[in-house]
Amino acid sequence: MASEEYIIHTHGLVKRYGKLTAINNLSLRVPQGSIYGFIGPNGAGKTTTMRILTTLISLTAGEAYVAGYSVLKHQREVRRAIGYMPDFFGVYDDMKVWEYLDFFAACYDIPERERQPLINDLLALVDLAHRREDMVEKLSRGMKQRLSLARTLAHDPEVLILDEPASGLDPRARIEIRELLVEMAQMGKTIFFSSHILADVAEICTHLGIIESGEMVAQGTVSEIRQQLMPMREITITLLDRVDDAKEALMTITGVTDIVDLPNSEKRRRIKVSFSGDDAGVSEMLQALSSRAIPVVNFAEQTHDLETVFMRATKGIVS
Amino acid sequence: MTTATPASPNRNPSHQRRPLRLVLDNPVVLKELRGRMRGARAFIVLTIYLLLLGLFTSLVYVAVAESSTSAGGQVNIGQIGRTLFAGVVAIELLLVSFIAPAFTSGAISGEREHQTYDLLRTTLLPTHWMVLGKLLSAMLFVLMLLLAAIPLQSIAFFFGGVAITEVLLAFVILFVTAMFFCTVGIYFSSRTSRTLSASVLTYSTATFFTFGLPILLGSVMLVFGLSLNDMPSSQAEIIALVIVGGVLSSNSAATALLTQSILINQQSAGTYTYTLSNGDTITLLSPWIPFTLVYLTLTIVFFLLAVRRVKVVER
Repeated sequence: MASEEYIIHTHGLVKRYGKLTAINNLSLRVPQGSIYGFIGPNGAGKTTTMRILTTLISLTAGEAYVAGYSVLKHQREVRRAIGYMPDFFGVYDDMKVWEYLDFFAACYDIPERERQPLINDLLALVDLAHRREDMVEKLSRGMKQRLSLARTLAHDPEVLILDEPASGLDPRARIEIRELLVEMAQMGKTIFFSSHILADVAEICTHLGIIESGEMVAQGTVSEIRQQLMPMREITITLLDRVDDAKEALMTITGVTDIVDLPNSEKRRRIKVSFSGDDAGVSEMLQALSSRAIPVVNFAEQTHDLETVFMRATKGIVS
Repeated sequence: MTTATPASPNRNPSHQRRPLRLVLDNPVVLKELRGRMRGARAFIVLTIYLLLLGLFTSLVYVAVAESSTSAGGQVNIGQIGRTLFAGVVAIELLLVSFIAPAFTSGAISGEREHQTYDLLRTTLLPTHWMVLGKLLSAMLFVLMLLLAAIPLQSIAFFFGGVAITEVLLAFVILFVTAMFFCTVGIYFSSRTSRTLSASVLTYSTATFFTFGLPILLGSVMLVFGLSLNDMPSSQAEIIALVIVGGVLSSNSAATALLTQSILINQQSAGTYTYTLSNGDTITLLSPWIPFTLVYLTLTIVFFLLAVRRVKVVER
C-alpha cells in the first residue's frame, strides 16, 4: 500500500449510527500538497468523515491514517499533524482576537515567548492585524472565519481539515477565504476541505472526491473526475454549408459515436459530435474537415463545468 | 494580503515533567481568569458577596452583643468574639457552597454550547489539564472571595477569644467545601450538554450536602433512638459516638462548629477526649480531619469521573 504519498488515507471506512450507515466503505486518498475538495450534498457524510479523521468520533470499521498515523492508535500525533476547522465557529465570550489565538497556541504547547510573534504573523496572514485588540464576538462572520483559519495554522500542521470553510459567507468573504486557501497551499499545507458549493471548488482544487450517501462516487484529479464521469466529449461545429459531407468525413474517425443537428442560426448550420477519443482524435476531426475544404466557421469542444459533472455524478443516487 | 510563515512550534514535551506548569502555564487557567476578571462582573460578584457577608456579620454582632450583656450584666467579650467568628464562617460556608458551583457548572457544558469543545479536543491539551484548569481557575476565584472575607473575620479579633488555629482550621474547612462543590459542578458539567441542567444538578447536590444530608442522618438517628446517655455497654457507646461524629463530619457547618467547640474546650486541634458514662476516657479525632479526608476523596473521585467523561471518544 503506497500510503506515504497520501497524507490522508482511509481504507474501507465504515461508520454506523445504530442502523443508519453514515459512511460505507469509504476509501479516501488525499495526496500530499494537494487542495482536495470533498464534495457532496448535505447529509452525504462529509462532516462524519472529517470528525473521524480529527479523532473526534470513533469509526465502526476500516482504517484511517493521517500523516502516516492511525487515527485510532496515535491520536496525539494525528492531532499535531492536523489543523481542524469545524463547520461552525467556536467563539468564546469576552475574549480578544489575539487572546483567542494565544489560547489555542498555548493548547498546542507553543511556549509563551514564541506566541506573540506567531500571533502577529497569523493575524497578518489572514488580514486581521488591525482587529488584534477587538473582542472576537464583534467580528463579522467572514472575519471570524479567517480567524478560525489562522487558528488552524497556529501549530504549523501539515494538513488542514476544513469543514465547509465558505458556507454562509457573502461572495466577497468567500473569495477571500478561497485566496487564503491557495496561499496556505503555497505554504506547503495540504488542504482537505468540504463543500457543497461547486463553484468554490472548481477554481482552486487540484483533487476532488465526490461523496454521496456515505459512498465515494468519484475521486481523483479534477480532469480525471471529468474523464471518469463524462466519458463522452461533445464538440460543436458550425458550418456555412455541406453539412452532409462534414458528417460523412467525421464518421470516418474512430471514436465518433453520434452526430446530431443543432438548431440553425442565421445562415449557419450547427452540428454536435459525440466523441470518446483523446485529443489526437479531436485534431484528426479538424484535419478531416479542412482537407475536404468544408467551410468551418467554429469548432469548439464543450467543456462541462463541474456543476454538470456533479449533477451527473449524484443524480438518482440521492436517497 | 501579507505572506507570513508561522513560526514552527517548539515541540518539546517538557511540560509533562513539571507539575507546577499545570497551574502556572495551563492555558485554560489563563483563559478563564482573563475572561472572568474582565469587565464589571467579577467586581459585582465580589461586592455582593462582601455586602451579604457584612450584613450577616452585623446581624450576628447585634444579636450576640445583646445576649451577652443581658447575661447578668457581665459582658463576656471573648464569647462575643467567638460567636461572631463562628457566625461569619458559617455564613461564608453557605455562600461559598452556593457560589462555587456557579463557576464550574458551565465549565464543560459551556464549551459544548459555545461549540469550542471539539476545537479543544483536537488540540494537544491533555484532558486532565483542561478539567484541572477549569477547577483551578474557579478555585482561584473562590480563594479571592475567602481572602476578601478575612477583614470581616478579623472583626472577631477585636473581642479576642479567637486563636490563629481556629482561623486556619476554618480556612481549611471552607476551602475543602468550596473545592468539593466546584468539582461536583465540573462533574455534572461534563455529563450534560446544557449548562442549565448541569446547574440544576449541581445545586441540588449542594443543597443535599448542606441541608438534606444532616436532616436525613439526624432523622435516621432519631428513628433508631440513638442516645448517648442510655447505652447498654461502653462498646455500644463508642460505636454510637463514632456514628454521631461521622454524621456531624458529613456536613461542613456542623464540622466547623464542633471543631471550634473542641478547640475552645479542650485546646486541641487534632484529637479530643470524651469521658464515657462508666468513667473511661477515649480519644477521638477532631471532626475536621474525617471531614477533610472524606471530602477530598469525594473531590478526587468526581474529578476523575469528569476527566473520564471528557476523554470519551464519541460513538
